[in-house]
Amino acid sequence: MQNKSIQKNVSLQMLRFEFRKTIGNPYVHIFGVGMPVLMMIIITRTVMSQVADQAIRAQANTSVFLGIGALIPMATIFMGYGVSNAQEMEKGIPQRMELFGIRPRVSICNRILSEILFMAIAFLIYFTAGYLFVDLRGPKPVGAVLYAVCILALSVILFCLAYAISSLLRKFSLTYCVTMIVYFAMMILGGMMGISFDNMPGPVQAAAKLLPVTYINRDFYTVWNGERYNFAPMLQSYLLLGAVAGILMFFALKRMSRKLH
Amino acid sequence: MLLSIQNLTVRYGTDTVLTVASPIDIEEGDRVGVIGSNGAGKTTLLKSILGLVPYEGVIRTDLRPEQMAVHMQFNEYTDACSVKYVMEAVLGTKIARNKKLRELIDFFEFGDCLRKKYTKLSGGQKQRFTIIMVMMQEAALTFYDEVTSGLDFETRQKLVEKLAEWYRGKRESLVVVSHYYEELDQLADKLLILDQGQVVDYGRKDALFRKYCGRAVIVVNHSEENDSLLGAYKRLSAPAHLIAVACDSQETEKSVTELLRNHDVNYKRSNNDIEILYTNAKAVKGGGFHAK
Repeated sequence: MQNKSIQKNVSLQMLRFEFRKTIGNPYVHIFGVGMPVLMMIIITRTVMSQVADQAIRAQANTSVFLGIGALIPMATIFMGYGVSNAQEMEKGIPQRMELFGIRPRVSICNRILSEILFMAIAFLIYFTAGYLFVDLRGPKPVGAVLYAVCILALSVILFCLAYAISSLLRKFSLTYCVTMIVYFAMMILGGMMGISFDNMPGPVQAAAKLLPVTYINRDFYTVWNGERYNFAPMLQSYLLLGAVAGILMFFALKRMSRKLH
Repeated sequence: MLLSIQNLTVRYGTDTVLTVASPIDIEEGDRVGVIGSNGAGKTTLLKSILGLVPYEGVIRTDLRPEQMAVHMQFNEYTDACSVKYVMEAVLGTKIARNKKLRELIDFFEFGDCLRKKYTKLSGGQKQRFTIIMVMMQEAALTFYDEVTSGLDFETRQKLVEKLAEWYRGKRESLVVVSHYYEELDQLADKLLILDQGQVVDYGRKDALFRKYCGRAVIVVNHSEENDSLLGAYKRLSAPAHLIAVACDSQETEKSVTELLRNHDVNYKRSNNDIEILYTNAKAVKGGGFHAK
């Protein structure tokens, strides 16, 4: 009957296929690679022109660099994958694949890995550009590991969120609209659009505290530098976003399930 | 038995779009043609079997959903990469290393299309692309839903010939939905006739023909002259442009054909004309069920 490799959750063939689909999406190159690099260079240049002290400049640059790095999973995974999946949903491609015996979990598992692979390449480019063009502080090993863990965890949650939104909306236009709104909301509340967390009004600060990007953008320099940091609020924001993504994912999978009596 | 459908009802909102009251069984090796006008419930039936729409009733099978292969009416694939990569991912193989797949690609003359993206393929190429992957599944039960829709006459004919040739002598069961009688003639040995969401009849083609048309039919073009010429013979329901005469005995057949030849009228004699069978089954809808 079915080729057994089709039934495996992860296979090199499917991984290659999903990776080809990932890189075939122009959004991820523009918003996931080009824009973070460009924003990082522009903003750090602005910081350099305003701060005279070399040490403070490097600290501010690194903080901006780490914060803008969070844009990469937001753009490549949340927006890029979200709109790409919605496009496929609209055309009935996932159902067509399922009719070929490729279960949604197989596509999802391989797509998560391919997105992470693409994100790793995007980060490589981002870090290369950062160290080439910007005066940055190197991390303590534990700081670098924690940054990678936090970005990875955020990526998985954003993937689930993107999958759920696109699967529930099933329309490219609607998904594009919703993911764009959420993307910019996260950027604004995360303090990446010019208004820092401290300058936000109280109610906006309360909303910003619910998002992991706020902590990555505001506090990660402390972690990067190996200093003591209270992870509890950040962890809570991850758990909250993870719970929202999990609930939406549950409904999305339930809606898509096939039943044979 | 591969699959059995009993007391099936499918509703879209408050509308009942399909009802199957008497059991429909599909046996191993069956080639079932599903025929009916638009809105008859053909695609809905397939979707029910595949678990794509909610339904009431029982569809019993030992096959898992992924063990049934299906060519849907509309098939779409990603345009982010060429169809070669889609094919290899779907089938979990490499074209270069898979002899059977290469044979199928050659059989359907698809080799030159492998580097193209799906949207760059023509209608016929798109159909062949899905057919190759469906065939590679080697499923016990394969569904083809209007596999030639949107294709020109020549491409359609060529494709159906290829399909018939491929499945000749093989054990796989097929369910073929089509509006084209000649396609069902080549691909089906049983017919499931649907009309307005109801099953008109289900059975072997020859048995259904005997049930609704008799031993044989003589078909001529409809004209006033032909109408009066054949006025003395038993008529069957036929499309408006045709006249169909039932030939229940060899003598009747001989008499009709002699008459037509004497008047230089072209005719077609058939003992398996699906168009006339379908028209008459629909005309006596509500009568018996299941031709033996």
